[in-house]
Amino acid sequence: MKLLVCVKQVPDMESRFKPDASGVWYNEADLAFRMNEYDEYAVEQAVRLREELGEGTLLTVLSIGPDRVVETIKKALAMGCDNAVHIQDTTVSAKDPWQIASIIATYAQDKQFDLIFTGMQSQDRGSAQVGVTVAELLKFSCTTTIVGFAYDSCTVTTKREIEGGIKGVVTLKTPALVTCQLGLNIPRYPTLPNIMKAKKKEIVAIQVTDFMTTESRVTTTHFHSPMKKSGGIVLEGDVGELVDKVRAILKEKSLVLR
Amino acid sequence: MEATRHIYWNVGHSVVIPMYLMACAAIGWMAWGFWQRLPLWRQGKSLNRCDNYDLRVKRMLAEVYGQIKVSRVTDGGLFHALFFWSFLLLFAGTLVIMIQADVVTPLTHLNILSGEFYNMFSLLLDLAGILAIIMLAGLFIRRFVIQPKGLEIVKDDYLVLQLLFAILISGFLIEGARMAATELHQNPELARFSPGGLLAASLFAALEPDALLITHKILWWFHFVLVLGFFAAIPRTKLRHLFTTAANAFFAPLEPKGTIATINLEDETVEQFGVTTITDLTWKDIFDADACTSCKRCQECCPAYRTDKPLSPMKMVKQLGEYAENNPGGNLIEAVSQEALWSCTTCRACQDICPANVEHVNKIIEMRRSLTLMEGAFPGDEVRTAVNNIEVNGNPFGLAYAARGDWAASHQVSIMGQDSDVDILYFVGCYASIDKRNQIIAGNFIKICAAAGIKVGILGKEEKCCGEPVRKLGNEYLYQMTATENIEMIKAYGVKKIVTTCPHCFNTLARDYRDLGLAIPVEHYSTYIHTLLMSGRLHLTPKPFPFTYHDSCYLGRYMDIFDQPRAVLAQAGGILTEMDRHGSDSFCCSAGGGRIIAEEKLGSKISELRVKMATDTGMPLLVSNCPFCLSMFEDGIKTGGAEGKLRVRDLAEIVAERITNS
Amino acid sequence: MKTILIGEYREGKMLDATYELFGFARQLGGETVMFLVGDETVLPAYDGTLYLAEAVQCGEYNPELHKKLLLETVQKENPDNIVFIHSSYGWDLAPRVAAALKVAQVSEIVDIIDGGFEVGCCNAKMRRTVTPATSRAVLTIQTGAFPAVQPGGTPAVIKISSDSDGSLTFVGYEPADKKDVDLAKADIIVSAGRGVGKKDNIAIIQALATALGGELGASRPVVDAGWVPHNQQVGTTGQTVSPKLYIACGISGAIQHVAGMKKADFTLAINKDRDAPIGEFADVLVIADVMQFVPALTAKIAQ
Repeated sequence: MKLLVCVKQVPDMESRFKPDASGVWYNEADLAFRMNEYDEYAVEQAVRLREELGEGTLLTVLSIGPDRVVETIKKALAMGCDNAVHIQDTTVSAKDPWQIASIIATYAQDKQFDLIFTGMQSQDRGSAQVGVTVAELLKFSCTTTIVGFAYDSCTVTTKREIEGGIKGVVTLKTPALVTCQLGLNIPRYPTLPNIMKAKKKEIVAIQVTDFMTTESRVTTTHFHSPMKKSGGIVLEGDVGELVDKVRAILKEKSLVLR
Repeated sequence: MEATRHIYWNVGHSVVIPMYLMACAAIGWMAWGFWQRLPLWRQGKSLNRCDNYDLRVKRMLAEVYGQIKVSRVTDGGLFHALFFWSFLLLFAGTLVIMIQADVVTPLTHLNILSGEFYNMFSLLLDLAGILAIIMLAGLFIRRFVIQPKGLEIVKDDYLVLQLLFAILISGFLIEGARMAATELHQNPELARFSPGGLLAASLFAALEPDALLITHKILWWFHFVLVLGFFAAIPRTKLRHLFTTAANAFFAPLEPKGTIATINLEDETVEQFGVTTITDLTWKDIFDADACTSCKRCQECCPAYRTDKPLSPMKMVKQLGEYAENNPGGNLIEAVSQEALWSCTTCRACQDICPANVEHVNKIIEMRRSLTLMEGAFPGDEVRTAVNNIEVNGNPFGLAYAARGDWAASHQVSIMGQDSDVDILYFVGCYASIDKRNQIIAGNFIKICAAAGIKVGILGKEEKCCGEPVRKLGNEYLYQMTATENIEMIKAYGVKKIVTTCPHCFNTLARDYRDLGLAIPVEHYSTYIHTLLMSGRLHLTPKPFPFTYHDSCYLGRYMDIFDQPRAVLAQAGGILTEMDRHGSDSFCCSAGGGRIIAEEKLGSKISELRVKMATDTGMPLLVSNCPFCLSMFEDGIKTGGAEGKLRVRDLAEIVAERITNS
Repeated sequence: MKTILIGEYREGKMLDATYELFGFARQLGGETVMFLVGDETVLPAYDGTLYLAEAVQCGEYNPELHKKLLLETVQKENPDNIVFIHSSYGWDLAPRVAAALKVAQVSEIVDIIDGGFEVGCCNAKMRRTVTPATSRAVLTIQTGAFPAVQPGGTPAVIKISSDSDGSLTFVGYEPADKKDVDLAKADIIVSAGRGVGKKDNIAIIQALATALGGELGASRPVVDAGWVPHNQQVGTTGQTVSPKLYIACGISGAIQHVAGMKKADFTLAINKDRDAPIGEFADVLVIADVMQFVPALTAKIAQ
């Protein structure tokens, strides 16, 4: 059985974002990068399945981006992926989800993957399109935002997260693709022997130009901070004074102090 | 009449050969007993603890014959020391008699055991015997009547105490029987020098001479057999500590305190990191279990044990010993339990107080290494988050790394990346960089340096967590990653001296980073400020304030820095009232050993207990020298209901308020 | 300009958020057509054309079949925009349709400014202005971002149907946890987010809720960590609330959470990060350590 997990390297969301020179994406200076949170759930689930199925199963991790993404690939390998594909692309942030999905699908189309795992969305771009689009392009069965997963002889049983706390139980026949959501699992912390082993695992580097077949379908014209809610006030300073101010505001709005 | 006595009186010289043969057999059996334990110890990995032979021998002799460590705790310890010395005297006396009878007399006919010397000899030995019996009785009452909490009673205790009593009392009885027959009436002058014997002799006064002789002979053999039994029992009972504890004073580490083995991460042949089974330990770790006398001192000063957490350093050492003997393949981590291992604050109080030089802390760290590096385990999800934060942003809070130096914007300090021509590099640490309360301390330290004309630089966003918490939690890999990056950065700027305001950073940079190639001098701000004051670069106007002082574990017990911070505070006008536990007996704040990033879920709060000790002094102010301690105590004051009674402040705050440099 | 609006229907009900599509369409301008897999008996108050497939036959969640039906509708109507709600239904179906139509998709639109679509990024800390490069586009809109508008009237229903032949099977729903605390009815809610740091601190947030006579709520990470029961979760996967006062303690303001509380009359947020997206929705943002500020406020109120 062949498994693929797609991961993206994103900035840590605690960072302060500033527009880059083009004004359509963030400036990478002073950002700390890590694996996209949802992709961690995807890797964990893929590795669990890989362990469950044992010998004869091959789990590949794929990432697109500049050299820095190798760190993220290594983490996935240390978590238990067997090998890796690094699609080298220094201008990955300029590509839209459609192009990213096309690149992945072009890579995957002749590889006979049975199951593909992706995150439900990236934390930085947040379009929630790439996974589903890959499935569409590969004509894979697909479901999204899963918080439960089980596999048994070509059938994947998932629990989808639905608004209001309910879950939808969905089964898929392989080949299939699932996008993973917070709550699916707790990603493991790589052990040192696995980190060491990961250093020896193969990372195939391929130029993105080999898979670039599409034009972008959306154009970003501006990257900026959201406007604050009008009338919203920001208070800062000594805790004691803050408490007095807040109490006064609440009292004025007669929201408290019944 | 001459003051001497007939050796082998009544039993006759014919006993000499069988006596020596039997003694040799008993000593041989004793040696055999230890020989049999060799394979037990040899299960462990090799470790050189025989270097610096002279130093080790000297230390061992001092500790054993001086009873230095055991007498540090008066309860039990003083009795032990006095018993040891008196028993040693009796043993030496016996040797003197043996030499006189079987070496000196046959060769020279000289009798050293005569005259005034013999009088003194008799008196000294008799007094030693009496003292030994009294001390033994004291120890007996302590163990079986008073039964101090935590002191376990095992089968060996009955056996050993009975045996020692029997040897001492039977010794006096033989003496008494001999004196009843030969001194009581014949030489009362001499008898006065044997007060113990004299008392025993009165028991036999009424006996017929023949019966007396037979009684004496029986007692002599009884006493002799007991002594043989004593030798034989040494390796097979708790008495083995006579040798193992003494040997441990020889084997104790010579490295700076707190040294942890730096794992070679380049070595690809290593498959096991840390300790899971007995064979992952060193021989010394197993030997420690034999050296442990179960005195429970470690347990008594353990902050985790004292707050009802599932850790007892003593129990852990005993569990390792038990597994080495009966279950060498067993999982030690399961035996000790993860909760117990994670509970340790690595405060080193156990190891410091241990009279047997047992090394508790590194055993725990090694087992944590196995948990962390082999299983990816964490004490809790909050630790997982903090560790991930350190990995990504170089601090446990998850603050963007680029904002690490933001606090310094309003201070007189150079960012090394812009201007590295500085007198000292201030390694700020995560707490002082990010935590609002501790940023004040960083600011105060800068102010102090500025007053003394010291130009200070910081790495700013190029500084990362020193790696201490994760290293103590067993994550050597992450520690070495962050440490290596810090070291490269520090070296690149040609730094001459590093000062820290955090004892954890201080220990790590000053000692642990040595293994990774940092050789620049590192100092804690308390000693640095002390030097500034002594050299006249910094002047303070003393303003009196009553206070109590907390020795942080990593400044005090680990680095033996006790006096300088007190001297600085005294110069600032401080009037110190010590807590009961201070100096090397200080009690942890709860945040060491990586616990700073962990939730304290088990038992009661250590910080509250320490705050209680501080409020018990009646002082309104507690002065600390560590950002972790400060944070823990502020927390403990709130949750422990000491608000309004006690305030905690950092040494730098006290000093900064009193600067008079213009 | 013509827009197809994709309504949502679940467990026998048409979802209220469907009306937000009309609010968006009004800003977009042009005529609308609606597509819904639902039920004839629960039609939207809408006076346009409605392509309706029976959920009983086509399933409430069957993206392969729904895609097929929608593509047929698109072929008939030839719209410029196909608009979904960015929900578990919408984000699942929209990319399939966009891929099949080979058109642009813009996800989770929060606003339209000068014809450009505003979408959140970087955990809602930042925004991008995006325009489709294809003449036709698939769009998804953030719940709560656009006003719910009821056009009124009765739709002209065109029934559509198709047979399912996909490899995906919807088995059924698993109900949400029972609700002991009814946040939906609470006037005052004090919610705890990841910023409270640890489980022990929940008690401190609860204390403020108690002092105010309100209920304790929580954001998703806090619930996932097991610090607070699931029935107290506020957000898209928890409860949608509309209290008079909402106090967000250490909640960054991920959209999934905000969508559940943005109807609050007055929002007070306490966060140490001044850039936290919650600041955008809060009437008052207090920049402070939650663990310092909240106990102090509780003490003050209890006075």
